[in-house]
Amino acid sequence: MVKTIQWMTICLVLCLSVGTVFSQGLAPPSNVTAVDTPNDDGSSITITWDAAAEGSGISGYQILRRIADGELEAVGDLLPAETAMYVDKAIEKGTAYVYIVRAVSETEATVDSEQTAPVEGKGEWFHTGKTPLFIAMLLFSAAIVWNIYSARSGKELFVRRIPGLEAVDEAIGRATEMGRSILYSTGLGGVSGVATIASMTILGQVARRTADYETALRVPCRDPIVLNVVREMVKTAYLEEGRPDAYNEDDIFFLTESQFAYAAGVEGMMLREKPAAIFLQGTFYAESLILAETGNSVGAIQIAGTDSEHQLPFFIAACDYTLIGEELYAASAYLSREPMLLGSLRGQDWGKLLIFAAIVLGVVLELSGVSWITTLLQRVS
Amino acid sequence: MKRQVPLVLCFVFGIVMILTQFSPHSFSQGVYKEVISWALIIGPFALVLATVTLIQTHTARIRRRTEHWQYSLVVFAGLIIMVLIGIPFGPQNTIFEWLYNNVQLPMDATTFSLLAFFIVSAAYRAFRARTFEASLLLITALIVMMGNVPVGDLIWNTVLFWTPWEDGTSWWRQWILDNPNLSARRGIILGVSLGVISQSIRIILGIERSYLGGGD
Repeated sequence: MVKTIQWMTICLVLCLSVGTVFSQGLAPPSNVTAVDTPNDDGSSITITWDAAAEGSGISGYQILRRIADGELEAVGDLLPAETAMYVDKAIEKGTAYVYIVRAVSETEATVDSEQTAPVEGKGEWFHTGKTPLFIAMLLFSAAIVWNIYSARSGKELFVRRIPGLEAVDEAIGRATEMGRSILYSTGLGGVSGVATIASMTILGQVARRTADYETALRVPCRDPIVLNVVREMVKTAYLEEGRPDAYNEDDIFFLTESQFAYAAGVEGMMLREKPAAIFLQGTFYAESLILAETGNSVGAIQIAGTDSEHQLPFFIAACDYTLIGEELYAASAYLSREPMLLGSLRGQDWGKLLIFAAIVLGVVLELSGVSWITTLLQRVS
Repeated sequence: MKRQVPLVLCFVFGIVMILTQFSPHSFSQGVYKEVISWALIIGPFALVLATVTLIQTHTARIRRRTEHWQYSLVVFAGLIIMVLIGIPFGPQNTIFEWLYNNVQLPMDATTFSLLAFFIVSAAYRAFRARTFEASLLLITALIVMMGNVPVGDLIWNTVLFWTPWEDGTSWWRQWILDNPNLSARRGIILGVSLGVISQSIRIILGIERSYLGGGD
């Protein structure tokens, strides 16, 4: 009996010694820092530490935090051993937190790091990571504004020929000669979409001509706000052309908000009314080809324009003329020939030139083994 | 005055909304969310107006007995049924959901499925090899189509096994999509982005004001 107790005591002492040796071998996480996460609204704190070396026996980390003089509390789940950073997003703004990183071994032995200095989350007013983007935006805006105001001097500006816009008069003239209506769709976009605004601007120009030629202009709308703006615009165009009597409010109407119901409705109009000219300008999705092909089948002259690059091939295949991407935005300047609007187009070209130069420079530098421009762009994105 | 006030509002809110994109502070993000929610409020008012015009349009069609006026009766029937069920019982109501799932969705799907036939007719016109560009388009489209089906690689590996490319149609398809196609798309996207900025500046500065309609 005495011998058994002696053996048990020896085993217990040995076990405890081995455990102590292993727990002493578990090094505490080093270089633990906690900082207010940069470029956020102050709702997180970033904790970093040196990741454990292979074979260190650490199987994971648990982040602990406490408010000054408060109790320690665990934050999040146990992190994998290779982790070296944690972002605590469950903080209260204006409260200082102290952090400890606890290393956990496979045997569930633990060792704590030293606690960090108190840190609190503060919101930044400017996102420093977006500085290059901000500078690029300022430069580009300055180029456009400069060109807009220099265009006021009356200097003639060259704008390349855009066949789709040259064909606007032809399409309206054809509809007038045939005594048929013109169908104009502003697409599925809402009034906040820049493509929709560009489309409405083109519509204004088209309405001026239809007022002159006394041609019916039918505009089915998908967005209720667009409907109201379009009505105002067309009405103004007719007034300014001295033909308020020719304006028919019923020709501009709400169809539906549903995408394919809208497509079916416009298709029905095309098949019933057989318009001589169809304008599809704005934002379009899967219904683009349905509309363009139906328009083609009724023999209408079709002018499409969109900035949805996935729909462009469909329009190019099915329509007579297509305004590709930026041409849609250039339309108002092109059709109105207002110097200030034309000036903005030249500013746009300066921006393109700058991007082209950056691409060429980036390729040359990258081929020469210099990658700072690529790194800068990656940081911005 | 009718134009000046909207132009000033457009300028102020345009600049503020741009600045919120560069400021992560909770105040500026709060302003951003607030302004967006204001814009959402306008929607329901405009929807009422839109519904009124819808009713006016279809009433006129029925009164004048224009071609296919009977469909306008279907519009009214649909409108009345959905309003009578939707407003008192809400969108989670069983009948409302049933009508949506068994009437509206199948009709949407039917219209969408027409796309398959339209793609064929459009592709037939676009791929007629009458010019050099159309021929190039036809060859490219054939490679991409063959690369999308397993039989394409089977044909390649049987007929063109001596070429350096194994599964050649898949390889060429991917090359076309990753290089010429992606380059062209990115070119368009860059142009569109610059166009959007340019258009936005014109609107913010009040140079582009046709969207405001009439009045001085």
